[in-house]
Amino acid sequence: MTAVLQVSNLRKTFGGITAVDGVSFEVRDGEILGIIGPNGSGKSTLFNCVLGQLLPTGGQVHVDGKPTTGMRPCDLNRLGVSRTFQLLQVFPQLSVRDNLIVAGQEHQGSMYTRLFGRADAGLGDAADRMIEFFRLSHLADEQAGSLSYGQQKLLDAAMAFMAGPRLVLLDEPAGGVNLTMLANLRERLQAYHSEHKATFVVIEHQMEFVMALCTRVLVLAEGRIIAGGAPQEIRSNPAVIDAYLGHGSARP
Amino acid sequence: MASFIQLLVSGLATGAIYALIAVGFTLLWQTSQTINFAQGEFVMLPAFFILSAMNWGAPFWLAALIGIALSVAILGLLFKIIIVDPMLRHGVLPLVISTIALSLFLKESVKDFYSSQAQPFPALVPSTDIHIFDAVISTQSLAVLAVAIVTVVALQVLLNKTRVGRCMQATAQNPTLARILGIPTRRMVLYTFLINGVLVAVASILVSPIYLAKFTNGETLGMAAFVAAIIGGYNQVRGAILGGVILGILDNLSAAYVSSQYRGAFPLLVLIAVILLRPQGLFGRIEERTV
Amino acid sequence: MNRLGIIVVGAAVIFAIAVPFFLKPFGIYLISMWAVLTIAAMGLNLTLGYAGQISLAQGAFVGIGAYTTALLIQAGWPYPIVFISAGLLCFAIGWGLGYPALRVQHHYLAFVTLAFTTLVFLVLRNEEWLTRGIYGISGIARPTLLGWSTANARDFYFFCLGALTVIAAATWWMLRSPWGRAFIALRENPIRALSLGLDTRRYTLMAFAIGSGLAGLSGALYAPLVQFIEPNSFALGLSFNLLLMVIVGGGGCFFGPFVGALVAVLLPEWMRITQSYYLMVYAAIVMLLLAFCPSGLLGLIERVIKATRGRRGPDGIAPNAERANP
Repeated sequence: MTAVLQVSNLRKTFGGITAVDGVSFEVRDGEILGIIGPNGSGKSTLFNCVLGQLLPTGGQVHVDGKPTTGMRPCDLNRLGVSRTFQLLQVFPQLSVRDNLIVAGQEHQGSMYTRLFGRADAGLGDAADRMIEFFRLSHLADEQAGSLSYGQQKLLDAAMAFMAGPRLVLLDEPAGGVNLTMLANLRERLQAYHSEHKATFVVIEHQMEFVMALCTRVLVLAEGRIIAGGAPQEIRSNPAVIDAYLGHGSARP
Repeated sequence: MASFIQLLVSGLATGAIYALIAVGFTLLWQTSQTINFAQGEFVMLPAFFILSAMNWGAPFWLAALIGIALSVAILGLLFKIIIVDPMLRHGVLPLVISTIALSLFLKESVKDFYSSQAQPFPALVPSTDIHIFDAVISTQSLAVLAVAIVTVVALQVLLNKTRVGRCMQATAQNPTLARILGIPTRRMVLYTFLINGVLVAVASILVSPIYLAKFTNGETLGMAAFVAAIIGGYNQVRGAILGGVILGILDNLSAAYVSSQYRGAFPLLVLIAVILLRPQGLFGRIEERTV
Repeated sequence: MNRLGIIVVGAAVIFAIAVPFFLKPFGIYLISMWAVLTIAAMGLNLTLGYAGQISLAQGAFVGIGAYTTALLIQAGWPYPIVFISAGLLCFAIGWGLGYPALRVQHHYLAFVTLAFTTLVFLVLRNEEWLTRGIYGISGIARPTLLGWSTANARDFYFFCLGALTVIAAATWWMLRSPWGRAFIALRENPIRALSLGLDTRRYTLMAFAIGSGLAGLSGALYAPLVQFIEPNSFALGLSFNLLLMVIVGGGGCFFGPFVGALVAVLLPEWMRITQSYYLMVYAAIVMLLLAFCPSGLLGLIERVIKATRGRRGPDGIAPNAERANP
């Protein structure tokens, strides 16, 4: 069975600096893969190369067996890959509901049929269901920019799920979120995962979040994968501990 | 053959002027994302500073120095402090529109406060003709070429061989890294504005004897700067130089062989061709998508 | 649109219908010009205010529309077809111009449209066999529609007002559709939009092409309004003027162009005394507005209203944001 996501020998250099140095891995259907590593290990660069936000210097990316290296993010999204962002998450002046409708509308028909179709592109009910799932119902008509940071993170995830994607890449979903909201976010992600049999890839710093959510973990250091396996194995892997301690970060 | 050499020399002279203007434009774009739509008017204006100084009795050489000083102060320093810095906080788009409004403002100010008539402007050297290999070449073209070359070489030396210059280049290529390395990036950016002030003033002195000082000069010169910068690859200074020279030569050649009615169209067609066929210009790299 | 907005717009509509009965012919000419320029400004607002691209060719497209209209009317074509043709022609040219220019980042469209405007001017001036060059085209007749002649100043004004209303309604409808949401998304957070499957390039191109098409329609009304057109009217000055209109009114606001066009049409009249300085003052006003209130006059008014209402707390968070999830 072909992997949902297959990254082969991906390389990315900026001038003289090699941020990603020959990374290869596969993501199987239905798993939640975590990618961790100290600062500067190349996690975000790897993500952006997979998602078409950056053009890789070398290597290939395949989604469901189809080559997608260097594809524009919007085309990749229409193949069923979506993402959340560390920063810049929502459309501040649109309402929460409108944010979700935007998130799904490009998958409804063609650009031209949408012009003459319904104003909400037929997504009003789906948006309301998503709002309810993420427990944002009381904020449905509020401007997204007025939401608290944690609520915007939930909205960000909701937007990524709106089009029913095959694969979701989450970029530091727990960053800057308080503990209560974090537990809520993790719980909602797990609920979505089990309901829809979705496949996730998560970059994160926060160990508790990764250990609790992910089924498998890869560790990146200096642009290369240095370890991979179940969360508990990784925790006690000496190479991993070394990578973190060697960079002065806290022990995982 | 003789006329070809003549055209080539005068083309090089024109191209050298275009190169000066384009380099200043590119420097601003590179270091601070400032797309200065008023660059043409920046070249038009110093001539009027100089003429005003001369009207008050200053000899040409003194007036020229005053003109350069005013250009650096107003079109360099004041431009940065009053317009660029406040606007950049809102983003690149408001800044670009501001420079468009500024170009209109400067043009109309000169028309209203000085004159709408073309003004004669003193040349650097008295205009005589030299004969080289049957070709008639004016000393003025040679003087323009000499001054422009000296200026460009001086600029290259500054950028590549001095510490300040290399800091400026680092700031242009990667401001965050430059800041981490301890380079005072704000000051480096200020220097690019001041340098542009010098470049436009020199270009003004070189071009005004030929075109006469007129408030509408900015339109064609500005357009030439944009086209030269884009031909060369917007983010490369040496591209701007080459782009300017190529444009100057092509412009002069086309004046000889194309109907005068459409002469002004030439840089425009070149621009559209470059954007269609090779948008990154001669030296530019294909842009990474931004994160 | 809230209730205050509806009242204001309603009052403005009544005013617009009633005012020509109190004005002399020159006054009626001015308000007709306002209606015509508002259409062009609406188009530029799509390009600039919604899609965030700078077009310096809006005036040139008005010119193409005007010349197309003048020539086709004098060749005997019926006006409704001429009107639509002017719009479609400019839409097509806009698409052709924008397609390569928008593939690149860095506001290349600004340069391309600048070059295009000058090229159009040169063609209009030089190709005398077609455009009669600097002598211009005179005696452009005002259309007769279904038996109603618009030759009279007041009748033509109502024709322009009617056209403006229809076009504004169509634009409003488009902005309410998923396309409008896409334009706003594209403007607010293009990277996020791209990651959600929104083809930002296609939508930007569409906004520019439609914006140019609207300029063509504006030109189709401009020609019979002034009844004499020549190349100079459509040079860079008009494009600048339209750009300033959009900024002054408020880019990205639906009613911004209406306000901006009003200022642009009335300003030279108010500054009759210092007439030759008006462009300078106009440019200065724009620079000041951009520095202190980039969202234009309408944005300024909106800010004042929000401040007096006190709907949001000082930190900008709505009161019920604190009722976070359980």
